[in-house]
Amino acid sequence: MPNRTLQPELIAIDSIDFVAPKKHQLSDTVSLYHMKDVPDETSRFDLYFDAGVCRGQKGIATFVNGLILSGTKEKTSNQIQSEINSLGGFLDSGISVENSVLSVYCLREYLPTIFKSVIHAIQGVTFEAKEVKEYLADRKQNLQISREKVGYLAQQNFREKLFASNERYSYTLSENDIETTSISELKAFHEKHYLNGLTKVVLVGDLSKNVVDEILDACKPMISSNPDVFTDKIENESGKFEQEKEGAVQSAIRLGRILFNKNHPDYMDFLILNTLLGDYFGSRLMTNIREDKGYTYGIGSMVAELNSTGYFLIATEVGSDVKTETLKEIQFEIEQLQSELVPNDELELVRNYMLGQLLKSADGPYAMTDLFLSAEMHGKSLDFYNDALEAIGSITSERIQELAKKYLKWDQFSIVTVG
Amino acid sequence: MIKFERFTLDNGLRVIFHKDATTPMVVVNTLYDVGARDESEDKTGFAHLFEHLMFGGSVNIPEFDTPLQMAGGENNAFTSNDITNYYDVLPAKNIETGLWLESDRMLSLAFTPKSLEVQRSVVIEEFKQRYLNQPYGDVWLELRPLVYKSHPYKWATIGKEISHIEEATMDDVKGFFKKHYNPSNAILCIAGNIEFEDVKSLTQKWYGDIPAVEKTVRNLPVEPKQTEFREKTIKRKVPTNAFYYAFRMVDRNHSDYLTIDVLSDSLGRDKSSRLYLSIKKEQNLASSIGAYITGSIDEGLLVISGKLNDGVSFQELDNALWKELELLSNELVPADELERLKIKIQTSKEFSDQGLLNRAMNLSMYELLSGAEKINEESEIYGRITPKDIQRVAKEVLVKTNCSLLKVKAENAE
Repeated sequence: MPNRTLQPELIAIDSIDFVAPKKHQLSDTVSLYHMKDVPDETSRFDLYFDAGVCRGQKGIATFVNGLILSGTKEKTSNQIQSEINSLGGFLDSGISVENSVLSVYCLREYLPTIFKSVIHAIQGVTFEAKEVKEYLADRKQNLQISREKVGYLAQQNFREKLFASNERYSYTLSENDIETTSISELKAFHEKHYLNGLTKVVLVGDLSKNVVDEILDACKPMISSNPDVFTDKIENESGKFEQEKEGAVQSAIRLGRILFNKNHPDYMDFLILNTLLGDYFGSRLMTNIREDKGYTYGIGSMVAELNSTGYFLIATEVGSDVKTETLKEIQFEIEQLQSELVPNDELELVRNYMLGQLLKSADGPYAMTDLFLSAEMHGKSLDFYNDALEAIGSITSERIQELAKKYLKWDQFSIVTVG
Repeated sequence: MIKFERFTLDNGLRVIFHKDATTPMVVVNTLYDVGARDESEDKTGFAHLFEHLMFGGSVNIPEFDTPLQMAGGENNAFTSNDITNYYDVLPAKNIETGLWLESDRMLSLAFTPKSLEVQRSVVIEEFKQRYLNQPYGDVWLELRPLVYKSHPYKWATIGKEISHIEEATMDDVKGFFKKHYNPSNAILCIAGNIEFEDVKSLTQKWYGDIPAVEKTVRNLPVEPKQTEFREKTIKRKVPTNAFYYAFRMVDRNHSDYLTIDVLSDSLGRDKSSRLYLSIKKEQNLASSIGAYITGSIDEGLLVISGKLNDGVSFQELDNALWKELELLSNELVPADELERLKIKIQTSKEFSDQGLLNRAMNLSMYELLSGAEKINEESEIYGRITPKDIQRVAKEVLVKTNCSLLKVKAENAE
């Protein structure tokens, strides 16, 4: 009979193999990264463009991103989709405030052909009137549906307060902007931010040198010559901002502040504080607000990074009748971290958990590539993660308390509720 | 090809082992052969509520999550109408913590009245967040009872109504555990960087002494064949009219199951599918349209759903849709279309097999269905499907008397 009352002995994680993709430089600022060591037939490519929301007026960047495969002189959108789908490609496009990314997942034998189709489609998009009209009508309908969700509304209201000092960053899409968009604006944005806006290419898959060379050649004409500059001067508007939503049975809460990214000396230690407070199942917020009070299905905190800055966020949806109580409990948990030292066993728990998660983040070529990119974005090498291993191992309760006092001041937060 | 070993402990626990030497992690996946279909109609939502309680402490361990996190691992679980699946992903060298935790909660639960009370609230908030406070969130709560009149698929995993969860008692929950949580009702899959010999000795060590219980024989009401078209309209505070056409189809082990899967892909998997091209791009009737199968173990559904464009009536959409459906019954799918659908299926399988956790969950699911070997056989079965097969199943499935239609009408629309 095993002894069931004692946890089996644990073995600590002391080192992790971090593997970097191969770098092919396209210009001083633009590179292609290739993760070749993939043990199966899968592959992926990502094209990054200097075409985030902040680069255009109002919704322009979002619309161009959504219309990027809407047809060229030679091919309709249906034909382009057919070229990708008939070779089993899965398309994924996304836009954030600072960049836009287009990714395709496919079997490696088809990657060269799909890549060519996609590049031609991006280069030759004509923004044909019928396609634009239909896309904008869909966009409007989607926006109307999103507006029925308290989570969406809170996220938008939070952005406005978080990025309050910069209207390009705080912009949220409106029906009016959808209705008043002109095709010439779309074309001008496309020319500057796509035709001359490629900032990074990522390949994952066991692809031959020839294939990689062809892709490098195909990318060259689109390399970004735009200055690689993003603002680091954004301030959030602190205070509490509430919006009523009739009939809502839950309220969405978003609260946070402008903070920093990997380039700040306090980043890594703050990340440990963030995990402890709200970024794992056993976190202070989950333990109190879900597992003790039952106010919510989930609550979490995160540190999000931008090119030259970053922000801290707590997000949850709670029963409408316990919105005020939840805010009180969040404040209570933050003040606890400021006034009392984290017990050693809890700190060890967070330490072990984070090391295990870092091990998992480096597991397999796809996860490893993403981990690499997250450091590369801030000009860091994989040494960042070796340093992280050390930081996680050596953090103290005093340091956690110091950071909580320094960065989690309640009166500096933008607090948004909807519902 | 996913390689695996299999053995059964004396108490009936089936164990599948899949070795992957390239990962530093290990997955401990436990599938219990119990889902919302095993609930009684006046106590729905139990399988799922129970899943929450499984984290509230077991006979020898006060709390589940902390020791696992201490081992650098994380875990989660999900409940469907068919099964309840728990998984732990942790560094391979700490696998024993995963087995210690999972075996103890298979042995016996020990959650407190407080835990029951809190998890009831958490699940009620989940009910609100996912089903009540989202536009179109309650569609499946309406669609299921329209399609299923006898079979327990007529209620959703979250439950028929909040009151069932509110009224759950300690005795109810204990009874549920006793009936469904035992070795013969479970499949354990261990996948990752570990040796087979260690798997054998470790599973014997941690699971070997759990008492055997005879497996409950499932005897669910059979859903009678549908013989008439059904239709229901609900009015909701949503911005856009939406439609859901549900067609009855075969069960997961039926030889036509994969053929109907391909049929649904032909209709609405992606932006090259028939309905997308015809209904959205050519005729501009819908802003979105897609088709999929529910994938349930007992007889399931092929669903076509989407949202109407402004100014388009349900009737216009209906006329255009049935024309497209008739085409599939009357004409053979062209060879190049079938080829496209098959490449897409093959690609998504390659990506799905990429992840260790996916492999472990899929092996467990196939073992439950008809044997884990099947995980490596489906690609070949898909490959053999012909245009004639598609036409044959289209004629059986895409028939008006086999269809239930749910319309969601915007309250302020005409």
